[in-house]
Amino acid sequence: MRAQTGSFGDPGKIEQRADRISDPVERLRFLRSQVQKPAEPPVAVVTLRPAARAHRRIPRGVRQIAWLALVVVIALAPGPNPKGAAETSARERGLLVPRAETPESPGSVEWVVPRVWRVDRSENTEVYSNGLRVDTSFVVSNRPRAEYPVYALVGASTPAKTGTTPVGIVYHTTESHMAPFEEGENRHLRQFGRNVLEVIRQGRSYHYVIDRFGRVFSVVNESDAANHAGASVWAGAEGIYVNLNDSFIGVAFEGTTDATDEVTPAQILAAKVLTEMLRSRYGIPAENCVTHAQVSVNPLNMRVGNHTDWARNFPFGAVGLPNNYAIPLASIYAFGFEYDEVYLRAVGDNVKGLILSQKQLERQAAAEHTPYLQYRSMLRHRYKDIAAALKEQSEGGS
Amino acid sequence: MSKNSAGQALGLDVGTSRIVVAQRGGDDFQFESQLNAFVSIPHSKITQAVLEREGIPHTPVAGEIIVHGNESEKFAGILNAEIRRPMSRGVLDATEPESLRMIREILTSMVGANNKERQKLCFTVPAAPLGAEGSLTYHEATLRQILTELGFQPTSINEGLAVVYAELESSNYTGIGISLGGGLCNVCLAYLSVPVLSFSVPKAGDFIDASSASVTGERANRIRLTKEDSFHFNGFFADKVHQVIGVYYDDMIRSLVSALKDAFSRTKDLPKFTRPVPMVLSGGTTMPPGFRDRFEKLLWEQDFPVTVSEIRLAQNPLHATAKGALVYALSDL
Repeated sequence: MRAQTGSFGDPGKIEQRADRISDPVERLRFLRSQVQKPAEPPVAVVTLRPAARAHRRIPRGVRQIAWLALVVVIALAPGPNPKGAAETSARERGLLVPRAETPESPGSVEWVVPRVWRVDRSENTEVYSNGLRVDTSFVVSNRPRAEYPVYALVGASTPAKTGTTPVGIVYHTTESHMAPFEEGENRHLRQFGRNVLEVIRQGRSYHYVIDRFGRVFSVVNESDAANHAGASVWAGAEGIYVNLNDSFIGVAFEGTTDATDEVTPAQILAAKVLTEMLRSRYGIPAENCVTHAQVSVNPLNMRVGNHTDWARNFPFGAVGLPNNYAIPLASIYAFGFEYDEVYLRAVGDNVKGLILSQKQLERQAAAEHTPYLQYRSMLRHRYKDIAAALKEQSEGGS
Repeated sequence: MSKNSAGQALGLDVGTSRIVVAQRGGDDFQFESQLNAFVSIPHSKITQAVLEREGIPHTPVAGEIIVHGNESEKFAGILNAEIRRPMSRGVLDATEPESLRMIREILTSMVGANNKERQKLCFTVPAAPLGAEGSLTYHEATLRQILTELGFQPTSINEGLAVVYAELESSNYTGIGISLGGGLCNVCLAYLSVPVLSFSVPKAGDFIDASSASVTGERANRIRLTKEDSFHFNGFFADKVHQVIGVYYDDMIRSLVSALKDAFSRTKDLPKFTRPVPMVLSGGTTMPPGFRDRFEKLLWEQDFPVTVSEIRLAQNPLHATAKGALVYALSDL
């Protein structure tokens, strides 16, 4: 079988010789040896010689083919044929693995979002095809989701476009009282869970709450906005979203910022299937599934991290998402927000996003030939214009 | 399979659902498989004595006895308990506390300790699972450590590539091998034995079991038995369990086909074959009658970017991956 890329010197000849080997092991051994030692094809051998005389004798067309073969040979030089186990699989995996799942490329995992659909609905329960069960007995309405603006990464303070459906998910913790997660504490666990649901319901705080037993409660209708994100900023492939109550869905884990390690496996599992369902329903890209700490800002002091829930420890991998902590914060590189000691302490080791944001901001300033502080000041002015316009729109609409 | 003999290599398919070991006896390949599963039962001296007398693989652990391998299924059925597994989604399950101990016990019971010269053993690993590179490294390193401690000289091979090595000798190991297991579907495109594209899809047999169990209220283990014993495609089922299994089987195949199309379409450096390439399906999830036809139908519905000459099942879908690992290990001697 011949491939047009010509991975081998002369695949046709190699195949002819391989065809004569009846034993499968011997045949594989032969083929592997050809990959390891691809110098057999005469064109490649001749071309590799530096002697000018030899070079002159070779027709031009053949030389071109030989150089092409050489490039391919060099590309294949390490060969997927190592002796060590880790090397073997690592090299195999590194060949042409679709770049979808690595934490370094968080924006490209859409193709793995499973199709999730509602299988059954009763008075108080919805069941989905991925095993998600949603308790709808607490659901309430809030104001309808408004048409939200989407801004270009740079440029004017007027929206580049608008949207009406959710484009992302913000994960929160409820910051509620916690009982030890032990069998003997069942009564308290149930009671605290119930209490926090009531509070959230009254405040229309989140669309979904996941209690400590992994039960998913729908609290605010998805068609309505929930009061979950406040002053917030996030950038996706489509542009920048400001104040995410209308554009993002709020999902809260029953838990506290200081004890995210106490989030239960049942909660994580529930978050995974809930995330799958929401991503499937709205086509939400992976990079728009982020934590409150990543999006929250304080416009008064122009600092990020006004809220720090899930500043670290969010189990992105277990929830079926790439490590979105590595995504730079648009609040910093697009609007000139800063971070402080409190935020640094909250994020712990998750500083990659911050570092990238800062570097991006510096690169942009350099590209604009503008002193850093002056450039940041310009970005801040843009944010303030946008925030003022949104406030006016909000007050006008209410 | 009896304890290994020195001088020959072994192939080991470490799957989420089953572990299969292969070795060559003359021109033939010989296989032995064990469920990669266990169940814990209350400890008593009488129980332990009975298990020992019957030669049932087990391990006493503080206050209970863990029965592992093939017998675990029987005990789970008798005790109406959910079977536990050391692995999940193709890799060691970090949330299962007995994961390491059990995988070591099962592997030891299958390949034994190699006290002679360090024997070659090739074990399978999944392709990069979605969003879990770290767990793959841990999985691979742990298996290698266990096998090294057992006295082997381990190497690893991608599961999809192992299928190619097992089944595509006639096309000089050019084609697409797909292993549809319990935790993952592993895909590999190889050209003249060289793997050029590999990936895994995190939706396979366990997805069908868990999803069907969640909808029907049955135990996942019972769903799996129903699926393996009496499910088939292209038939009408009056009972809900079979209907639900059919729905999720279809969903799994659609996801795989969609991922195949997407991955092959998005890969820019894919070789352009001048001849259609064969595609082989293997693994326990391919076993229901009619699976191949259903898969083929759904694949043809897509505009698949590589021309496929044939889609066929492996000669022995349950053993193909182990055979491929063995062929690879032998070719390395």
